[in-house]
Amino acid sequence: MNFVNKLFKGFKSSGSCCGKKEEVIEGNLRKIAIVGSPNVGKSLLFNRLTGSYVTVSNYPGTTVEVSRGKTRIGQDEFEVTDTPGMYSLLPISEEERVARTLLLREKLSIVIHIVDAKNLERMLPLTLQLIEANLPVILVLNIIDEAEKIGMKINIRNLEKDLKIPVVATVSTTGRGIDILKGRVEEHVRNM
Amino acid sequence: MSEICKYTGDILEMSLEKIELLLKGDYGISKRSIGLLLLQEDEEIISLAKSKEAEKFTQIMEIVAHTKAHFHEPLSYIISQRRQEEASRIVGASVEHLPETRLPFKEKLSRMMIHPLTGVPILLLILYYGIYKFVGRFGAGIMVDFIEKDIFEKNINPWITQILTSIIPWQMLRELFVGEYGVITLGVRYAVALILPIVTTFFIAFAIIEDTGYLPRLALLIDRLFKKIGLTGRAVIPMVLGLGCDTMATMVTRTLPTKRERIIATILLALAIPCSAQLGVILSLLEGNPKGLWVWAGIVSLVFLLVGFLSSLVLPGDAPSFYMEIPPLRLPKLSNVFIKTYTRVKWYFSEIFPMFILASVCIWIGQLSGLFSLLTRALNYPIHWIGLPDKASVAFLFGFFRRDYGAAGLYDIKKAGLFTGNQLVVACVTLTLFLPCIAQFLMNVKERGWKTGLGISVFILFFSFSVGFLLNLALNILGVSL
Repeated sequence: MNFVNKLFKGFKSSGSCCGKKEEVIEGNLRKIAIVGSPNVGKSLLFNRLTGSYVTVSNYPGTTVEVSRGKTRIGQDEFEVTDTPGMYSLLPISEEERVARTLLLREKLSIVIHIVDAKNLERMLPLTLQLIEANLPVILVLNIIDEAEKIGMKINIRNLEKDLKIPVVATVSTTGRGIDILKGRVEEHVRNM
Repeated sequence: MSEICKYTGDILEMSLEKIELLLKGDYGISKRSIGLLLLQEDEEIISLAKSKEAEKFTQIMEIVAHTKAHFHEPLSYIISQRRQEEASRIVGASVEHLPETRLPFKEKLSRMMIHPLTGVPILLLILYYGIYKFVGRFGAGIMVDFIEKDIFEKNINPWITQILTSIIPWQMLRELFVGEYGVITLGVRYAVALILPIVTTFFIAFAIIEDTGYLPRLALLIDRLFKKIGLTGRAVIPMVLGLGCDTMATMVTRTLPTKRERIIATILLALAIPCSAQLGVILSLLEGNPKGLWVWAGIVSLVFLLVGFLSSLVLPGDAPSFYMEIPPLRLPKLSNVFIKTYTRVKWYFSEIFPMFILASVCIWIGQLSGLFSLLTRALNYPIHWIGLPDKASVAFLFGFFRRDYGAAGLYDIKKAGLFTGNQLVVACVTLTLFLPCIAQFLMNVKERGWKTGLGISVFILFFSFSVGFLLNLALNILGVSL
């Protein structure tokens, strides 16, 4: 499903993508990047956070498209970037390379690592790499409803203590947990 | 900072600490991460370090080489293994698995879809009911008939002709709107009466299939076959999307990891994957001619496999490896299906509608200036060559605009009863393989560059006619009549 969303992302706003609108997003906004492997609901979370004002453009020097949008959380306005899917900081595909370049080059206030809660064990290594890189990570356990359905019980407090980063459970299709996520972002920025 | 991932007391950790001390530049992320990436010999990071660590760079790379020599496996493997162990430990401490209560029927079904023995029949079933019955019979048959005959031919066409006759006295100008290739009688009719119902039914079927989570399973099913032609199962997704629209699918080839795979997939998409509108029209053309349908499907699949196999031999590169997340099977949500269908149809229609109108205007100008008949006459040669009647030149000329437009042209010729069974099949095969539409050509150029994009198109032009020629020859020699 997701790859089609990705694809349509390219068309949805492509009419207004090129040129002028890019300048609307000022350079001095605080930045949030959403990272994670494909098919975990990155784009849905991105849409939940940004609503309208989305621009889609090629990442400089590549053919990979990156969506950017704005959101207001608490008192602050943020620029949100939806990165192409990545599995690890050691890239294999062009898309992964773009995602990493983005993490390296842009001064990010928050990196939201979104994972499929069911596959936490397989996806946690990327969280560890992001923490290791000293990036301001928030871990989002998405599709938590399906994890619960198959009998998974995740102790979020414990996980936060172990990883020393905020952890939030969400369901981006229904919007469950999004407010909590926003709260954690606000807290995180205030403590910076 | 994070002591989570410290692998204390071994050579890897000691080397890492040494590298961290030597690194002086600012990388945007921690020195530890950079050190780990250097140890895993990430080319981009190595050249970055080379530019930032003037004199210490050689020393760092010596440490990397030294560390590498200590292990049998690649360092990237060892590092990710340790990281996975750490992740498993953390998950083990925080996650509890309660026994499952329900019998996992979904899981059983999911496995059946992937296993070749049960997966292939399931695939055929989905193709038969989803594509052939729903799109071919219902969309391209019943709905097209209704919109075309009952709405256009009985109501709209005579009505507009009447109005135009009373307000425009010049026959020539009237031709622009209601002539043989008029804006209303051809452009709008093709778009609304032929393409719209076909594309809509296709997108409905596709959205349902997609929403269930079937596609990644299909990818796994076909992975083995695809490996033989130099692609991974991951490439199934652009291919299946190509059945919707090859232009979008070409864009999706980006998700393929190697350049080699991306080029092979682009060629196959342009050549052997018919898009939804084309597929629908071809299904309705060959309806009532099951033998012809089999020949068409057989030839196109054969070309797909053959060209894929040959290009995997020609293009150098490693055999790809495959890894993919499998989302659970779900019952499709009506609202999802509706929204997906709506956005796609809207996008597709707004793309083709102006082009169809434009095509009518171009043809009108071409007719006035004589260019149109010149072009069709030039096309007559290759058309005769593959054993088709004159009339078909026009359809192929349409095909240069868009393959679906060309297929719709064939539909008109068939309706007029100008094709024999053999000619129909040859025309369908040739047009399926034929040059992609202008939009896809531009996308090929955008994604693959001028040289490759243009090269692919020229190759396809010759290839499609050659296959048509051979098929016609074979049918004649064997004395088969379809």
